[in-house]
Amino acid sequence: MTMQRLWANPLGIPGGSHEPSGTQGDNRYSTAPRFPTIGRETAAHASAGPIFSVSGLHVHYGGAHVLKGVTLDIPRTGIQAIIGPSGCGKSTFLRALNRMNDRIAGHRIAGHVLLNGQDVYGRGVDVVALRRRIGMVFQKPIPFPMSIYESVAYAPRLHRLVRSRADQDAAVEKSLRQTGLWNEVKERLGVPASHLSGGQQQRLAIARALALDPEAILLDEPTSAIDPRGTAWIEDTLQHLGGEYTIVLVTHSIQQAARVSQRTAFFLDGEVVEEGPTDRIFHRPVDPRTEEYVTGGFG
Amino acid sequence: MNWRYLQGHLAIAGAWGCVGVALLPLVHMFAIVVTNGERALSWTVFTTVTSGIAGGLANAIAGTFMLVGLGAAIVVPLGVMGGIYASEVREGRTVGAARLAADVLAGVPSIVIGYFGFVTMVTWLGWGFSLLAGSMALAVIMLPYVFRATDLAVQQVSDDLREASLALGATRIATVRGVVLRAATPGIVTGWLLALGIAVGETAPLIYTAGWSNYMPALKLTHAPIGYLTYVVWTFINEPFASANALAYAAGLLLMLLVLTLNVTARWAIARRA
Repeated sequence: MTMQRLWANPLGIPGGSHEPSGTQGDNRYSTAPRFPTIGRETAAHASAGPIFSVSGLHVHYGGAHVLKGVTLDIPRTGIQAIIGPSGCGKSTFLRALNRMNDRIAGHRIAGHVLLNGQDVYGRGVDVVALRRRIGMVFQKPIPFPMSIYESVAYAPRLHRLVRSRADQDAAVEKSLRQTGLWNEVKERLGVPASHLSGGQQQRLAIARALALDPEAILLDEPTSAIDPRGTAWIEDTLQHLGGEYTIVLVTHSIQQAARVSQRTAFFLDGEVVEEGPTDRIFHRPVDPRTEEYVTGGFG
Repeated sequence: MNWRYLQGHLAIAGAWGCVGVALLPLVHMFAIVVTNGERALSWTVFTTVTSGIAGGLANAIAGTFMLVGLGAAIVVPLGVMGGIYASEVREGRTVGAARLAADVLAGVPSIVIGYFGFVTMVTWLGWGFSLLAGSMALAVIMLPYVFRATDLAVQQVSDDLREASLALGATRIATVRGVVLRAATPGIVTGWLLALGIAVGETAPLIYTAGWSNYMPALKLTHAPIGYLTYVVWTFINEPFASANALAYAAGLLLMLLVLTLNVTARWAIARRA
């Protein structure tokens, strides 16, 4: 099935009316109307330089030494893929970026994680404010126990980013458009989120994060519980978002990394073996272990 | 016919048989209450108060609603907040002690709670037989059920859901309020229902704390005895008068219907929002 046909009827829902491509109505990723109240702090961070700069990062869980001195810069735009076999520490690395590991008992950390030059583990850092700036999407789609509309409005409401009902409606619509969900759900925004298909739920999870207009979006194997068609949709959504947001994509699918990312880092045993432009990692890897992994030798 | 098919059919027939046996006492009880209460069942039951061994049940119906309603209003915030504390904190001696205390409290005979209420509230605090004393006694009886149901329901909420909310920059409190409680609602409400059903059917703690009154309840918290349906069942069933017995059966029927209505309504409400 070609992408074009997926566009026409993404989830094979019969009877849906779809405008011919090219019209305004079919522009699923149209971001109009503009998000009214949240201004991204782009002016302050317009400098080149990486958005995340991680150096010498060690993470222990109790006695387990999970990350062993990871150093990695994550560029400001585009998709950074992180690949590696199970247990290589790629999820731990991702969760270190927005301090989700803090919740785990026996968690210890050393090294530096800089977000726009500011150490996220520094003294006086407000974890809540940090997470508000960084969206995260997990392996399983986790529908909130509420309607589609409320799911997307949840975080903006929480952080008082919307001042009126109209603001909120606009924010919800924008996020849903950015994930290509709008046309699929606009008639039934009041339906419980759990009624959506797995792939739609995962895109809703992305929309929930986008509603905060984050500086970066972290995705932890977002398609491993999703069927191939839903996966194609999510990858497509990510590629659209990659132009505007920093995206860090942890995936155990090397094909997925090759398809969507601009840069790839290969993790093995808690260390970064190799990092670089995706094309080079896949076609001219320097380290023999990288070559073995990307050609399907192990993992 | 294949032996394994036969085995399967036998097992299903056996299961149905057991369901029938289990339901038999309920059906029988319902039939007895309906047939014996029939002569007392008319609209006047709802409109007239008890007078001696006859009359209606308006005072007892109103009293039951007030006692259980006030008791629930006291216990629901306490039990739910306590349950959230226990389940969200998850460790430490306080939580273990609270759970143990709740389990012990659930096992205390209700007449002990009634007599304790009599000694403390009715006499020592000097409230007399009253709505407040009765409601507090019922609240003590309901507390462990509301607490433990909330505790368990919140514990069963997937940690993934908490993470998803925390990752959006929600605080722990906001996460509990925004997603955890919503997800736990069916379990929490089931606990309320269990507690309400038990409270509606309690007799012993009310005899010592609420007393009894033939009149419509006054809107007074203390120093005013108040009627309730279980008293009618307990007292009038032993009277040597047919009219008194019929009234007792009618009260029993109303109690059963009340619990049934509570359950059906709550199930419907939960199903509608899920």
